[in-house]
Amino acid sequence: MVLSFFRKGPSGLEHTVSRAVGMLGDARHAYDLATLALLTGTSADAVDADIRGTDDRIDKIAVELRSELVVHISVQGAMDIGSVLGLILLINKIERIGAQAKNVLDLAEAGAVLADQPDSEALLAERAEISALFSEVADLMTEHDDARLEDLRRRCETLQAAQQEKIVGYIHSDEPGHVVVPRAIYHRYLKRIVANLLGIVLAATEPLNDQEPGALTHIDE
Amino acid sequence: MTTDDTERSMPTLIRAFLVGGFIYLFLVGVSSLEAGIKLLGQDTQEQLFSNVSNPVAGLCIGILGTVLVQSSSASTSVIVGLVAAGAVDIDTAVPMIMGANIGTTVTNTLVSLGSARRSDEFRRAFATATVHDFFNVFAVAILLPIELLTGVLSNAAGWLTEHLVGASGSDWKSPLKEWVKLPVGWIEDLWSWIGLSGNPLGAVIVATGLVLIIVSLGLITKNMRKLIADRVERSMNSVLSRGGGSVAMLLGVVITMLVQSSSITTSILIPMSAAGVITIRNAYPVTLGANVGTTITALLAALASSSPDALTVALVHTLFNVAGILILYVPRFIRGAPVYCAEWLARLAALRPLWAVAYVMGAFIVVPLVGFGIAR
Repeated sequence: MVLSFFRKGPSGLEHTVSRAVGMLGDARHAYDLATLALLTGTSADAVDADIRGTDDRIDKIAVELRSELVVHISVQGAMDIGSVLGLILLINKIERIGAQAKNVLDLAEAGAVLADQPDSEALLAERAEISALFSEVADLMTEHDDARLEDLRRRCETLQAAQQEKIVGYIHSDEPGHVVVPRAIYHRYLKRIVANLLGIVLAATEPLNDQEPGALTHIDE
Repeated sequence: MTTDDTERSMPTLIRAFLVGGFIYLFLVGVSSLEAGIKLLGQDTQEQLFSNVSNPVAGLCIGILGTVLVQSSSASTSVIVGLVAAGAVDIDTAVPMIMGANIGTTVTNTLVSLGSARRSDEFRRAFATATVHDFFNVFAVAILLPIELLTGVLSNAAGWLTEHLVGASGSDWKSPLKEWVKLPVGWIEDLWSWIGLSGNPLGAVIVATGLVLIIVSLGLITKNMRKLIADRVERSMNSVLSRGGGSVAMLLGVVITMLVQSSSITTSILIPMSAAGVITIRNAYPVTLGANVGTTITALLAALASSSPDALTVALVHTLFNVAGILILYVPRFIRGAPVYCAEWLARLAALRPLWAVAYVMGAFIVVPLVGFGIAR
């Protein structure tokens, strides 16, 4: 370990960003499995351990990264404080996505069935669209691109508006509770996940004061 | 691009050359100090340094001097310069060196006061800062009486010096001394040229040496910190992930040797401790490593002189810190003592931050001043 001091190796904020990208990959994995269990009838028990294990890993890495950011500020001084605050926000958002994926799994384990429904194909397409956002977000975390960021922002906002519309539709639906409640909850989680994904990019790329309130998500939302 | 950006983006090679230049300047400073004191004359030297012949007075002066310049590297280098010039003997210098070890702990304690308003953070930060204080005070409390009774540290250092450069008392040709001879001559010529001679000339050359030592050490620390910041960050993360112990201690030695300042190493630990990412038990060995690492500066200063006694005093500094670790850290039954004391004091300070201020003022200013006043 002492010799490692003299060797070159990953350090600094780039190292933190690259580990955060890994966390985001884990969050995507958890999201994919949880939505698969809910939307396709895959046994929730079969994916339970994987999702919870992945979420635990995300939480563990989040703690490590926060420590590394404290070390960064202690060693390098306050020069990078803006980036560090942005990264702390970003890490929190990835943690939340992991927790929200677990919430989707809880929904499936509670007996919610969204498989083999008339709109299953649309739900699966929507699931795939959101899953693809994860890799776009990961790209934008490491390579700043204003045009792509703007396009992503627009699509995320459209997706969030669509989720909200569905939620409101279910609230006013005449269908029985056991049909609409799981769906309303599911779309609420999707809306939060999309908002967190957009929030991650903004935390990584925009100054703290320029981040849109709509992109900021809170645990009690 | 701001000034800070420019400083950050300075090529590594240029910065490394700068550090080399500042080390040279530091050696010139130590050598000037030695030359200036020699010019002061025997009577003036006796008048100036007779007050520190009492070990307690020497200890207190070591503390006060280090608190004043906020750098044990600077104060121990000055002490080495005084010994090299023959103004202070080894027996007198040893308590001063030990005092410098205590005085240097004030910096991270002052850093910890920054979180005084947040009780939990402050308790952790203050404990991590004062564990350094308690270790050094305990080490002095144990080793100073032993040294005064037996001379074990100075004898061991003398034995080492003899094996390294030859018999104590005779001159040895330090290559570094030869390298700095020319600029020291320029400094003497410059002040003589404006008409100074005798004691005033000696005093001005001593002052020039002091300024050079303090400024160059500050610049070495600043630039080395930037040069190795990424490596320090990575190794601190290793300490966090793999715990403390001897490896953390070795990292403390390496980091401090490179930045030439134990205050930098120990102060880095304070915000980490306040945030709760490092425990006092993991930070403690890093602090002890910093104690040993900082002795490299006095050794370097000794190489700028041709006096074996100067090297002996510098080696006493190293042996004192190593002995402190062997006595207070290696035996498991006593290892926790400085930690318990620091945690106890931190609990008090967290309840009433005024205690912390009183402690800093008392331990680093009032007690040494009173001690010096009584013992001189």
